[in-house]
Amino acid sequence: MSATDTISSPRSYHVTSAASAGLITLLIGVVCLVLEPIAPWLVKWPAAWSLPLAAWIGEGLGAFLNFIKPTMRVLSWLLEFPMGWANWVLNATPWPLLIALVTALGWLLGGLRMAALGALGLGFVLGTGYWSEGMNTLALVFVSVPLALLLGTGIGLLAYEVPRVKNAVQAVLDIMQTVPTFAYLTPLLLLFGFGPVVGLIASAIYAAPPMARNVLLGLERVDAEIKEAAVMSGGTRTQQLFLVELPAAGTQVMIGVNQCLMAALSMVIIAAVIGGFNDIGWEVLLTMRKAQFGQSVMAGLVIVVFAIVIDRYSGTLALARKSYDKRIAYGLIAVGVVASVVTWGQVSNTAGFAIFDGAAQVVDDAVGAFTASNGASLDQVKNGAMFYVLLPLRIGLDEAILPFTWGFQWTAAYSGIFFAATAAICVAVALSGRVALAAVLGCLAILLETGVSQLPWPFVLVGVGAIGYVSGGWKLTRLVMILLACVLISGLWERALLSLYLSGAAVLTCAVFGGLLGLWAAVSTTAWRIIRPICDMLQTIPLFVFLIPVLMFFQIGEFSAFLAIIAYAIVPMIRYTRAGIATTPPDLMEAAEATGATYWQTMWEVRVPYAAPTILLGLNQTILYAFSMLVIAALIGTTGLGQSIYIALGQADVGLGVAAGAAMAILALIADRLVQGFAEERRKALGL
Amino acid sequence: MKAFGNQSSTLPSTSSVADAIATSGLWQVFGAGAQEALAEQLKTGAASGDVASALQDRGLIPAVQDATFNVAPGELFVIMGLSGSGKSTLVRCISRLVEPTAGEVMIGGENILTASKKRMIEMRRNTLGMVFQHFGLFPHMSVIDNVAFPLKMNGVKPAARKARAAEVISMVGLEGREDAFPRELSGGQRQRVGIARSLAGNCDVWFLDEPFSALDPLIRRQLQDEFLNIQEKLKTSIVFITHDIAEALKLADRIAIMRDGRIVQIGTPTEIVLNPVDDYVREFSRDIPKGRHMTLAEVMEPFDGADATGPTLSTAMSLEAALADCAMTLDPVAVRDGDGKVVGQVRPEIFAKALARAE
Repeated sequence: MSATDTISSPRSYHVTSAASAGLITLLIGVVCLVLEPIAPWLVKWPAAWSLPLAAWIGEGLGAFLNFIKPTMRVLSWLLEFPMGWANWVLNATPWPLLIALVTALGWLLGGLRMAALGALGLGFVLGTGYWSEGMNTLALVFVSVPLALLLGTGIGLLAYEVPRVKNAVQAVLDIMQTVPTFAYLTPLLLLFGFGPVVGLIASAIYAAPPMARNVLLGLERVDAEIKEAAVMSGGTRTQQLFLVELPAAGTQVMIGVNQCLMAALSMVIIAAVIGGFNDIGWEVLLTMRKAQFGQSVMAGLVIVVFAIVIDRYSGTLALARKSYDKRIAYGLIAVGVVASVVTWGQVSNTAGFAIFDGAAQVVDDAVGAFTASNGASLDQVKNGAMFYVLLPLRIGLDEAILPFTWGFQWTAAYSGIFFAATAAICVAVALSGRVALAAVLGCLAILLETGVSQLPWPFVLVGVGAIGYVSGGWKLTRLVMILLACVLISGLWERALLSLYLSGAAVLTCAVFGGLLGLWAAVSTTAWRIIRPICDMLQTIPLFVFLIPVLMFFQIGEFSAFLAIIAYAIVPMIRYTRAGIATTPPDLMEAAEATGATYWQTMWEVRVPYAAPTILLGLNQTILYAFSMLVIAALIGTTGLGQSIYIALGQADVGLGVAAGAAMAILALIADRLVQGFAEERRKALGL
Repeated sequence: MKAFGNQSSTLPSTSSVADAIATSGLWQVFGAGAQEALAEQLKTGAASGDVASALQDRGLIPAVQDATFNVAPGELFVIMGLSGSGKSTLVRCISRLVEPTAGEVMIGGENILTASKKRMIEMRRNTLGMVFQHFGLFPHMSVIDNVAFPLKMNGVKPAARKARAAEVISMVGLEGREDAFPRELSGGQRQRVGIARSLAGNCDVWFLDEPFSALDPLIRRQLQDEFLNIQEKLKTSIVFITHDIAEALKLADRIAIMRDGRIVQIGTPTEIVLNPVDDYVREFSRDIPKGRHMTLAEVMEPFDGADATGPTLSTAMSLEAALADCAMTLDPVAVRDGDGKVVGQVRPEIFAKALARAE
C-alpha cells in the first residue's frame, strides 16, 4: 500500500460503507419490484404471517388490569374527594375574588406585567361564558399537578440516588414520553371506567416524566464543590439532599414544574375526548363536531389563555426574582372581597357576564362568508397539495396520476421511461464518484413510483437498517431493524406505513420551511422579533386547539391533519435552526471575514456547518412533535396508527390501543435514534 | 476495603500519635476493578513506581500513589503540584470525600478510613473544615446562612449559631454583607465566605483546596496575608493545596511536591529551594530569589568574638534581609538567636558564597 493510499483510506472507506449500504437497499428494492408479479409476498406482508400481537397484549394486559382493578377503583374513589373539593372551591368562589387572587399572585410573581396578564386572561375567560367549564378543567389540573410533581420528584431522586437504576429509569421516561397520549387512555379507561378520574390519572402520569427529568438533570448539574461542601459541613445524606442539592438545583427544578404544569393541562384537555365531564376540552370537541366554529374558537381561546397564564406564571419561578410589595397583593385581594360582597347574588351567574357571546356569531359569519367567497381557491390549495404532493407520496405516481388528478393516465410505459431515466442519472452520478448519492437517488425513485404506503417491506426494513448503519453503526442497525420487525409481524404494518407517510410529508415540509424561517430569523433581528412570539404561542397552545382553525377552512380530511401537524411541529425546526446559526462564535465569523469570505459564503461554509448538530436536534424534535400531533390529528380524519388508537379508545380495546401506541412509539424512537446518531456524528466531527 | 485497611495498618508506620494528620501508603486508583488490581500488585512487594506502571498498563489511573506524610499539630503543610498531579485527589482522600483504594489516614490518632458513617459526620461537624477552589457556596443561602450551615447541621440553636456565624464573618472582614447572596459578591468576598464557613465549626484540621487560585493576583496576596493572620491566631493544622510555588513558599511550614500522583519531595521551603531532589523540583524554584528563602542559621559560621555591636541580625532572618542591613560593613557581624544570645557570625564572603551555591 502506498503512502497516499494510507492517507486517503479512512475517507474512501467511509464513503464505501455508506455507498454499499445504499446499494444493498437499492438492490433489494429492485429485486422486490421485479419479482412482485411472481412473489407478491415480497411487497405486501401477508396477513397470514402476522402474529395476533394486539389480541395477545389485550388478553395479557386485560387479565393484569382486571387483577389490579379493585385496588385502582379504591384509588379512583379516593381521588374523587380532592377533585370534588377542588371543583367545589373553584366554582363556589365568587369570580371577582378569584380574579383578584390570581392577579395578586401574578403581582407577587412578576409585578405589573404578570398581574395584568392574569387579570386580563381571567377576564377574558369570564367574557366568553365558559367560566364554569374552565374552572372544572382547572380543578383537574390542580389535583393532577401535585400528584405529578410528587411522582416526578420521586422518580428523579430515585434515579439520582441509585445510579444502578438510572439508565433503566431514563429509558422508561423516554418511552413514557414517546407513547402517544391517547394510548395511555385506553388501559386507564378499563381500570377506572368513564369519568374525569381517568383524565386526572392520565395527566398525572403524562406530566411526571418532565418533572423527573428536570429534577435528575438539575441534581446532576449542581457543582461538585457545592455537594462536597455539604458533605464537609457534616450533613447527613438526607440533609445534603434536601437542604443543599435540591435547592441548589432550584432553577432546573422550576423548569420542571413549568413543563409539568403545561403537560398536565394539555393532557387534561385531551382526556376530554373520552367525555363525560363538563370541562373546556369537551366543549371544544363538542362544538367542533357540531361545526359551531365560532363557539369552538372561543372555547379554544379559553384553553390558550389558561395555557399562557399558567406557563408565564410558572416560568417566572425559574428566573431570578425580584420581590414585589406584598401590600399591593393584599390590596388586590381586598378589592376582590369587596367586589364579591357588593355583587353578591349576581356573581354566581357567570353566564350573565358573557360579553363575547356575540363574538362567536361574528366569527361564524365571517368564516362562513370567507369560505363562501374563497371556497374555490381554498379547494384549489387543498386539491393541489393532495394531488401533486400528498397522494403521489402515499400511493405512488403509478396510482396517483389519473386523468381526474393530473389530466392523464400513468401507464406502464411511463414507469419504464421513469425508471430508465433514473437509472441513467444514477449511473452518471455513480461514475462521477458519488456512489452513495446514486444509491439514494435510486431509492427515492422507487419510493416515488410505489408510494410510501405500498413500499416493499424488505426494502423498508433494509433501508432503515442502512440508515441506521450510516448513522450509528451495527448496534443501531440491529436495534432499529428488530424494532421495525416487531411492527411488521404485529399486523399493524400497513397502518404504520400510512403514519410514516403523513408524518414524513409533514416533517419534510417543516424541515424546508422551518429551516428557511430559522435562517431568516438568524440573519434578521426584525424577523425574529416577529417570529419569536408566534413560536412561543404555538408551543404554549395545547395540541387540541390546532385542529380548530384548520377545520374551519379545510374541513375534515388528511390535508387538515397535515396542516395541523405542520403548525405544531415546525416550531422546533425554526428555533433550533436560528439558535444554531445565530450562536456561531464571533471569532469563527471574524476569521472567515478576514480570509475574504462574503456574507453568504460565511453563511454556507462556516455558520451552517457549525450549526448542523443543533439543526439536526431541531429536526429530531420536529419529528417527535409530528408523531405526537399525528395521534391528535386522527380526530379529524387520518388513516394510520393514530386512527387505530382512536378507534381502540372508542371500543375500549386495550390490545389494539396499546399495540398501536407501541408501534407509534417505536416509529418515533427509531426516527429519534437515527437523527440523534447523525447529530452526534456531526458534533464529534466538529469537536464539540 | 475494610480488609485492606487492616492489612496496611500492620505495615510499619512512621506516624506517631502526636501527629495531627498522618497518612501512610495511601493509594487512589480509578477504573473498574481498581481495588483488586492494586491489592494484587501490592502483594508482590514491588516498588510503588512499578506498581503504578503495572496498573497503568491495565488501563487504570493511579491518581495518588503511595502517599505517606504527616502533619504536626499547628503545622501549615502545603501540597504543591501542577494540574493533574493528583493533589486535589489527595486532599479528597484525606478528607474522605473519595474513598481511597488503599492505605491509612490518621487524624488525631483516629483512622478515618475505617470510621463509620456516623462517626465521619461527627468529625466533619466538629474536627474538619474545608475550603474549595471555586468556593462551593450554597447559591440559595445568604452569607450568614452559608456560614452557619455547619452549625445548623450540628444542631446548634438558631440564636447561638447566628452569633457564632457573625463572629467568624467579622474575622474574615465581611461585616455588613451578612444578608447578601453569593451571586452578589466578588470572587474575593466569596472566598472569605468559604473560609468563614469552614471555620464556623471550630475545626482542628483545616483543608484548603487551591483556595486562592481563582482570584486575581492583588486579591490573592491580600487574602494570603489575612489567612496567615488567622492561622497565627487559631493554630489549626492545615493541609493547603496550591499549584503556585510562590504561594507555597510564602505560606508553608513544609511543602510536599507532587508529580504524576507521587510525592517527590517533602521539605521546608528552604530545603525545596536549596536542595531540590531532582530537575523537576529544581525547575519549579528556578525563578525564585534564593536569598529570600535561605536563613542566616543555615550559612553563619561560629562566632569568634570579633564584634557584637553593628546591625542586629537574627538566625531566622533571610539572606536578602540581612544583606540589606549590613551591605555597608565589611566586618563580621554577630547573629543572635530568638533570645538575643549571640550564636554565630556572618561575613560578606559568606553571603557571596551562599548565593553562588544557591544559583
